[in-house]
This record gives sequence, structure tokens and C-alpha cells, in this order.
Amino acid sequence: MTSTTNIARKAGNKSVRVGEDGSVWIEGYRCGACGAVMPVQTIACRSCAGRVAPEAYRSPETGTLYTWSVVHRSYPGVAVPFVSAIVDLDGGLSFKGTLKGVPFEALQAGMPVRLVFDDAGGAVDGDGHPYVGFHFVAGDAS
Amino acid sequence: MSDAYIVGAGMIPFGRYPDRTYFQLAADATLMALDDCGLSIKDVGVVYASSTFNAASMLGQKMLQQIGQTGVPVINVSNACASGATAVREAFVAIKSGLYDVVLAVGAEKNPRGMLAGSPVDGPPPEGLFGSVSMPALFAEAGMVHANAYGTTIEQFAQVAVKNHHHATMNPKAAYRKETPLEEVLASEMIAYPLTKLMCSANVDGAAALILVSEKKARELGLSRAVRLLGSALASDPFEPRNPDMLDPNSVTRLAVAQAYEMAGMGPEDMDLVELHDCFAVAEILHYENLGLCADGEGGAFIDSGATALGGRIPVNVSGGLLSKGHPIGATGVANMVEIIDQLRGEAGARQVDGAKIGMTHVLGFGTGSAAGVHIFEKA
Ligand SMILES: [Zn+2]
Repeated sequence: MTSTTNIARKAGNKSVRVGEDGSVWIEGYRCGACGAVMPVQTIACRSCAGRVAPEAYRSPETGTLYTWSVVHRSYPGVAVPFVSAIVDLDGGLSFKGTLKGVPFEALQAGMPVRLVFDDAGGAVDGDGHPYVGFHFVAGDAS
Repeated sequence: MSDAYIVGAGMIPFGRYPDRTYFQLAADATLMALDDCGLSIKDVGVVYASSTFNAASMLGQKMLQQIGQTGVPVINVSNACASGATAVREAFVAIKSGLYDVVLAVGAEKNPRGMLAGSPVDGPPPEGLFGSVSMPALFAEAGMVHANAYGTTIEQFAQVAVKNHHHATMNPKAAYRKETPLEEVLASEMIAYPLTKLMCSANVDGAAALILVSEKKARELGLSRAVRLLGSALASDPFEPRNPDMLDPNSVTRLAVAQAYEMAGMGPEDMDLVELHDCFAVAEILHYENLGLCADGEGGAFIDSGATALGGRIPVNVSGGLLSKGHPIGATGVANMVEIIDQLRGEAGARQVDGAKIGMTHVLGFGTGSAAGVHIFEKA
């Protein structure tokens, strides 16, 4: 996506990062002792309790569909139906996100999917900074 | 170390109580439990009071202001849907410690209305943008893992609702007491596939209370209606790579039940009946396997076999469960123990499980993390 505004964009999710040059990526953290991967910076390792803080890495945006639900009833103002998906990204992170562009009957566990950054539905924070969000599409979509 | 016994149990009918506060509901259930064993609030040495939403407002003290301010310690407990089991677990520990002979565990809730969601996060409202944060969607996703791995069908998930709604018709304290044939469950509003509205728990108010006593006190009161608490386990979410983006109902439940079985010196084959956390119909299928009632992957066939219906080999949720008895969140973990106690006493009326001697309860709490409680009871 391109930004046409000069107001800095903000991460719309705990694992989205926005660089000073406007680039966006997904950041994960990996424990040097046990290899466990986590989506947020922790003080020690969540898995092995090792005291060396897991180190940041830039996550691939490709992965596979683990599970999903087609959501028919949501909160007021939210368009339904949509696919709430759990995706395992290559490299070990897993995220919940909305999967778009795949007919419901074509959903398959293990199908390749890809994370795509978006404008978080046009959401802005209290000072007018636009958020950067993401959704998933089928892995072979462009 | 003294064994812990339940001598008093009380539960108000589950439903809507627009004109009563949560602490009045707690007081109602407490007085029922005290009257059940002929004790007074003045006999109680310590109070564990559970409310997922109101523990921070000192539920226990507010309740004592209604029925007698005896000055005893009160511990207010909030642990998502496992709050009630957490209160009982702490009551058990208090008896086991030898410090107290009579302990009250009480849970009460006036549930917020509407569809429940997980905890709020930073950034824009996530619903729809980042999948769904609703509890139905979260459990639907867990159910689809089972469906994808083992071919479990929406009809098998729906049969859980058919069964538990049927059981509730025999429970005068259940919120919903209406048969729902399979076609009706499948035809009700789709909430989050594979969950229809009739496969989601009943969002109601309620309260339940237990009086736990030491062995010495139990013998003094008489053991004829006493129930021994053989195993009490509470677990929190162990590390799972997808957690908490995908909360995992399985690993935390398996951790708790293994400890409860070990403490009781028993296994799933010893259970005569089980009340488990059927917050959504898919959850009951997952927990058949998590609790070891059937082998992994066989949950769908297990419901089809009729084993878990009243009259089957191991009846599950004969109270109607959360699906139809109701799910007042902070009371749920205490209420499912009240059902087991009624059953072990042979006082469960039309839904009595013949010859029930040993029963188990399970609850699962999801918030920003997970908690599971498992308790095993034996007729004294
Ligand atoms: Zn580690």
C-alpha cells in the first residue's frame, strides 16, 4: 500500500512495525536458548524462562491456514460474514486475522496464505494518525 | 492432613434477576448452603467469593453486609470462567492447611448482556479487521481444528446442544428448559460456523455456594449427606506457540485433569458422571478427549454413541450444562459442583444418575490467558 499523507502512520496491531521511512513489517521474537517464537517482546522467555530476552526478527509474510470460522454475527457496524482465520506464518509466528478473497467452501486447513498490509479499515487514532493493519489472502493471490 | 468434605450446597435458579444485585444473589446462595447443613454464617472461618466481573468491588464483604459481618477474612477471586473453581480450590487448600474447619466458597454473577468478547487491545477495534474477538468465533475456530483433523461434523457438534437441552428439561433450576431437536439447533441463527445460536451458552445471572469442612467437623455434623473432595486442581495456560493469538482450550485442561486424577488416585474410567465446561457445543467434544473420557479424535463418535446422555455409560452435563442451565460466569464453577453433590447424594430427581458414587467437574476460563479447574468428588 502507499501512503499519500505526511502524517506518520501507526501500528494497528501489537506485531506491526512502522519504520521511519514508512516501511512496514511484522516483528517477532525468538529465544536464543530454546528457539521458541513469540509475538511480543517479553522480559524472559515465555517457553523456557531463560533470562536472555528473546531477540527481534523480521517475520516472513507467507504461511499456511491453521483454522478459521466464518463469522455471521458480530458487533454493531461490523460487516458480516467474514472469515476469522488463524494463520501460521513461516518462521513460527501465528496470528488471528481476517482472510479475504477465498470462497468459504474453498477454505482448506494447510492452504498457503499471505499477509497483506492494509489501512485497518481507514481507522485513525485520536490525533488523526492512520493505522496500519493487515489481513490475509490466498498464497497465490496478488 | 485432613480430608476436605462438602456438607452444604446451594444454588439459586439461573435466569434474569433485574431487581437484585450480584451480592444479594451471593447471599441467597450462601444462606441456602448454610441451611443445607445446619450451620450459621458465624461458623464460617474464611470466605472465598468469586465473580469474574465484580471481584474487585469486594463481592464477599458486600455479601457479609447482607447476612452478618462476622469479621472473618474474605478473599475475592476473579479468574475468567474458572473463577468459581478457583474459589473452591482455595477453600480446599484452607481446609487442607488445618487452619480452618468451616470454609465458604461462593460464586455470583450478573452477566453483561450481549455477546461476550475477549479482552480489549491497543489500536483500532479489532473485530472484523483482525478476525473476530468474540467468544463464539474463538471456540468455533477451536472446533474447526477438530473438524479438520478428524472429520467431526456440524451435526455431531449440534448433538451436544440437543443432549444438554434435553437434560435441562429435568432440571427445575435451569434457565432454558426446552427440547431442541437437531433440525432446530441447526436451523437457529448461525453465529460463527459451526456454532449456531442454540450451540452457545445461556447468558444469565446466578449464584451458587458450597460449605467445605474438615474431617473432624464432618464427623461432628454427620456424614450421611457429606461428599468428599478427593482431587482439586487448577492450571494456567502452559506455553503454546499460538497462544494467546489462539487461546487453547486443550493444553490447560489436560494439565489440570492430570493433576486431579493423580491427587484422587483415579482415572476417567472411575467417573460415574461429569459436569464439564460446555460454553459452546464444540467445547464439549474437545473436553471428552481432554478429560480422557474417550480417545483423541473419537469425540464425535462418542456423542453419537449416546454414552454421555443420561442413562449412558458416562453421563455428561445432566444439569443441562452451560448451554441450557446457564453460564453466570463467576458462579458457573461452583454451580457445576452443586450438581455433582446433588447427584452423589441421590437427590437429583428426574435426572438422577443411578448409583452415582464419583463425579468430576471441569471449567475453563479464557481472557488474556487461560485457566482450568478440575475437581473430583466421592460420596462419603
Ligand atoms: Zn526459551
